[in-house]
Amino acid sequence: MNLLQVRDLETHFFTADGVVRAVDGISFDLAAGETLGIVGESGCGKSVTALSILRLIAPETGRIVGGSIAFNGRELTTLSTAAMRELRGNKIAMIFQEPMTSLNPVLTIGTQIAESVVRHLGLSWPAARDRAHEMLELVRIADARRRLAEYPHQLSGGMRQRVMIAIALCCNPQVLIADEPTTALDVTIQAQILDLMLELKEKLGTAIILITHDLGVVAETCERVIVMYAGRMAEQAPVAELFARPLHPYTRGLLRALPRADDEVASAGTRPMLAEIPGIVPALTRPIAGCAFAPRCDYVVERCRATAPALLQADAAHLVACWEAQRVAETAA
Amino acid sequence: MTLSATLDDLPAAASPLARLGVAVRRNPTITFGVLLLSALVLMTIAAPLFAADPFRQAPINRLRPPSERFWFGTDQFGRDVFSRTVYGARVSLIVGFAVAALASLIGLAIGLVCGYFRRVDGIVMRAMDGIMAIPSILLAIALITLTRPGLGIVIVAILIPEVPRVVRVVRSVVLSVRAQPYVESAIAGGTRNTKLLVRHILPNTLAPLIVQATYVCASAMLIEAGLSFLGAGVPPEIPSWGNIIAQGRTFFQIAPWSILIPGAFLAATVLAVNMLGDGLRDRLDPRLARRL
Repeated sequence: MNLLQVRDLETHFFTADGVVRAVDGISFDLAAGETLGIVGESGCGKSVTALSILRLIAPETGRIVGGSIAFNGRELTTLSTAAMRELRGNKIAMIFQEPMTSLNPVLTIGTQIAESVVRHLGLSWPAARDRAHEMLELVRIADARRRLAEYPHQLSGGMRQRVMIAIALCCNPQVLIADEPTTALDVTIQAQILDLMLELKEKLGTAIILITHDLGVVAETCERVIVMYAGRMAEQAPVAELFARPLHPYTRGLLRALPRADDEVASAGTRPMLAEIPGIVPALTRPIAGCAFAPRCDYVVERCRATAPALLQADAAHLVACWEAQRVAETAA
Repeated sequence: MTLSATLDDLPAAASPLARLGVAVRRNPTITFGVLLLSALVLMTIAAPLFAADPFRQAPINRLRPPSERFWFGTDQFGRDVFSRTVYGARVSLIVGFAVAALASLIGLAIGLVCGYFRRVDGIVMRAMDGIMAIPSILLAIALITLTRPGLGIVIVAILIPEVPRVVRVVRSVVLSVRAQPYVESAIAGGTRNTKLLVRHILPNTLAPLIVQATYVCASAMLIEAGLSFLGAGVPPEIPSWGNIIAQGRTFFQIAPWSILIPGAFLAATVLAVNMLGDGLRDRLDPRLARRL
């Protein structure tokens, strides 16, 4: 059985300009210990999908309007607030994008890690502090004993993100949702943090949902990738397959827009222009008839504008939402 | 001397006294406020040791100008203005500190709840706006006509319109802290509402709350003096700065000291409290990002 099973998830926001269909029917599975990447450009619904799983959508603005989220066979969309709170941080943990502001400036690092341990594992405060110490060593923060008593402003961005990881993993969650965990960090620290996450995943057996807009990060870390566009799934495939044989025109566009180090060698000194995907993401306030990507697509045909493509099983683990996937595959070859 | 040795010596060289010296030089306003207030507090506590009985009347010595015997002169009943001023500080300080402490506690509780639970917010904040519209002086006069004049009633009367001012400050901090990623992160970690409020949000409100408390304290002292002056404050026989000024009013032209001296004390006290508040505000402002 899958650890996490999301089916036809729809999360809408109710704004003055109308209903924003931030997540418009997403389905995916997550197996225990797996690393799943969700990629897409800003505003495509990646983060909202993650927040929906934890039911963290502010009720004043938005709501999960349809679909189901099953965790270990337990339906999360209808779970009581109290039961949901038991899961959060305990079975499903989350790391946010901003390590600079995700730690409370007035509490010590030790308190912030120990708090979750006391809350979910029922340990006493001294025992929880020992656990916090252990976690800081696990995320390789030097001089952990001293760091426990320090405040967030005394730590660098990379160290804060390590602390965030320590907080997220201190209760041995089964799922870790990492929402752009490295976006705010510089490149060398990014690599360290990603390596650390993967290493801890191996050690603790945590499944990871990694949300990012960085295909390089996906290639390095994930086993399976979901490409999202305008709140819908465009393509889903094992990572090697996606990079080798992208079947959705949007995925192809994204891959083409990736700067490559070996391009420069080929063109002898002159840097080639980066390919871009023309146009912008459609407004999500109006229902989109047909394929959401149609206005920007090179392969568009009449049928694309009329009816939204169903998910096509191109391969055992390769799903694509494109009527013209066959033609895309042929031109790519 | 090697570089490492110099670095090692640095923290050791900063003795507590030297560090105090640095703190004083960096925060002249706080230092001034604290020194003046401490002096006043010491003065009121030690009053019986050096001041004469503020109630003793000696008609033979009435309206004497300041002299070696009566430092600040005497009033129309021959009472020593110096000892009355010294004892009068008790009323001002008690009212100021009591109102500041109570308004902070009540305001903190209401502000936290209002800022965090949006449904309560609408109703309670409109009530707070209503209370803020009541002038303290009128409320105090009304309360005192209903009951007997006394220190407690004065404190309550000043306290009621001050509470909403604290609530507004606390609520605005809670609203901004609520939107911080670390609060979202704590929610994602399964923290309960009460824990979230007490452990994550409350400590963030303390700095602005302390600053606001000093302003409330200063304004409470002024209102108390105003009430006593109008005869709606503490009973007239109790020496308070407002009472002394009110009673000396008729004799202002022949005995101005009985008004000017308590007036100067009142001004100095309020100044001290305000300087402390301003200093703390500069020090605690998170945008300046300096450590206390």
